[in-house]
Amino acid sequence: MLTLILKRILMALPVLFLVATLSFCLIRVVPGGPFDADKNLPDEIVANLKAKYNLDKPLPEQYVLYMQRLGRGDLGVSYKYVSRTVNDILLDAFPVSLVLGGLALALAVLVGVPLGAVAALGRGRWQDTLAMFLSTFGISVPGFVIGALFIYVFGIQLRILPVGLWESPWHMILPAITLAFSPAAYLARLTRASALEIVQKDWVRTAQAKGLSGSATVLKHIMRNSLVPVITVLGPLTAILITGSFVVEYIYAIPGMGRFFITAVMNRDYDLILGTTLIFAVLLIMANTFVDIAYQILDPRMRISD
Amino acid sequence: MASQGSFKYVAGRLAKIPQAVLALTLIGLICLVAIASALQLPLSPYAYDQTSTLYLAGPSAQHWMGTDELGRDLCARVIYGAQLSIAIGLTTAGVAFVIGTVYGAIAGYCGGKIDTLMMRGVDLAYSLPDLLVMILIGVLIGRGTFGILLALGLVSWMGTARLTRAQFLQLKNEEFVEAARAQGQDHLSIIWKHLFPNALGPIIVALTFTVPSAILSESTLSFIGLGLSPPACSWGTLASDGWRSLRAHPHLIFFPSLFIFATVLSFNFLGDGLRDALDPRTRLSKLK
Repeated sequence: MLTLILKRILMALPVLFLVATLSFCLIRVVPGGPFDADKNLPDEIVANLKAKYNLDKPLPEQYVLYMQRLGRGDLGVSYKYVSRTVNDILLDAFPVSLVLGGLALALAVLVGVPLGAVAALGRGRWQDTLAMFLSTFGISVPGFVIGALFIYVFGIQLRILPVGLWESPWHMILPAITLAFSPAAYLARLTRASALEIVQKDWVRTAQAKGLSGSATVLKHIMRNSLVPVITVLGPLTAILITGSFVVEYIYAIPGMGRFFITAVMNRDYDLILGTTLIFAVLLIMANTFVDIAYQILDPRMRISD
Repeated sequence: MASQGSFKYVAGRLAKIPQAVLALTLIGLICLVAIASALQLPLSPYAYDQTSTLYLAGPSAQHWMGTDELGRDLCARVIYGAQLSIAIGLTTAGVAFVIGTVYGAIAGYCGGKIDTLMMRGVDLAYSLPDLLVMILIGVLIGRGTFGILLALGLVSWMGTARLTRAQFLQLKNEEFVEAARAQGQDHLSIIWKHLFPNALGPIIVALTFTVPSAILSESTLSFIGLGLSPPACSWGTLASDGWRSLRAHPHLIFFPSLFIFATVLSFNFLGDGLRDALDPRTRLSKLK
């Protein structure tokens, strides 16, 4: 098991290198730089600024310099938030996004999995129709629409919950629910599909033939096996949460990674864009590695190949 | 072979799913309004109402959805936005179909090393969040309508390619393909006449889901200020405008949001319906 984990981590390094190189090229190739917006600056000062941040050097040299710093774990400096390093900004922003994402994920599992199970067990009946309608609703409504609706109802009309910033647990409620919508719907659809497949398996029929009660069959045989796919989609789920965080952190003015990524792109704040992208890539790779390992633990048939 | 008969069969099965019929009707209506307005719009989306002080007015008999901060009719703007949003959704699906099926077909049919070479990069890029990739591409090529379309197209074909490849890998060992090969048919006619028609069903279902996800991506990007920007007028930019005056004038965000939601919901129901209609295992009497 340990060798497997080590192997996975070693495999992740070239992928990270590739992501860093690609995003570096993508961002630096374009004309326009972080100091374009300050139009009033004299040319000498712009030249000085560029020299300070090594932006005057040829691109290949900048790339080598960037990679060397990256190797030391230094993500660079922000050009807009003067005197703050990217490491500094991301160290502040990451925990915020982690809490938000974690809450949303927990909520999505608690709502989505039971919803999918209810739909599968009542296949073709009203429970199924209702649950599937709700989940289609969940994947169809954009995050900013839910966010705007929540802010309007709870913040402006009822005035019972804070609708901006990230200061107390009360501030977390609406953003977490908003972010949980689409992963919950995704999980519900997935759970339904996998439970439907498992209901048709021979060993479920055997369990029923043995005289096992309905609920025991459902819990011990169907649900337990339906959960495997749910764990294996942690990769796509992380992607959904990252995408969602762009919108949710934007509308609720939460100082997390998603918001910094958006403002960094607007400001062409090179190192901050690259740093955030890399952290997102690390998160996704970690999620996928975790899935690979969890899969081996959950499904004994997978272990033989190891 | 996907003949006229099987088209009628699928259409007949689809007609038995009420959600899908309703969804198709709604999509048809929205498209009809979008097309009709492209030819002749009663009120210009850019026309100021200078005769009165009707800026930021709520819905009324004269302006069904109210007016914006410049006194422009919101209903005209939402209809105009429908043209752009629907066009973006359909174009993206078209691009995904053409690039995705060709790429996936080559990888799946050839198999082996070519397949590995072609699909490794796709698998890697596919695991990244679409919106993240689109934002990074947007940095490179700019944020006009063309830039958004290019970003959406570049991201969306990968899902289709993966699906087509999987279908081809599975189908190419079937007996009817073997029979065609034994008859001496060349590669192109095997792909075109035998593999492609049989892979088409799931591809069409996937493309039906590509349209709403493209509409969602565009409106989300425009909403957070990294997509289209005024004077371009899509449902996303309208919602983004409305967001700024949410407190005092919620109608400005309500109507564009409603149309995004209704359209995306319809396409998702249609996609679900198509999948059930194409799957012979589904007993439609049970779905009623």
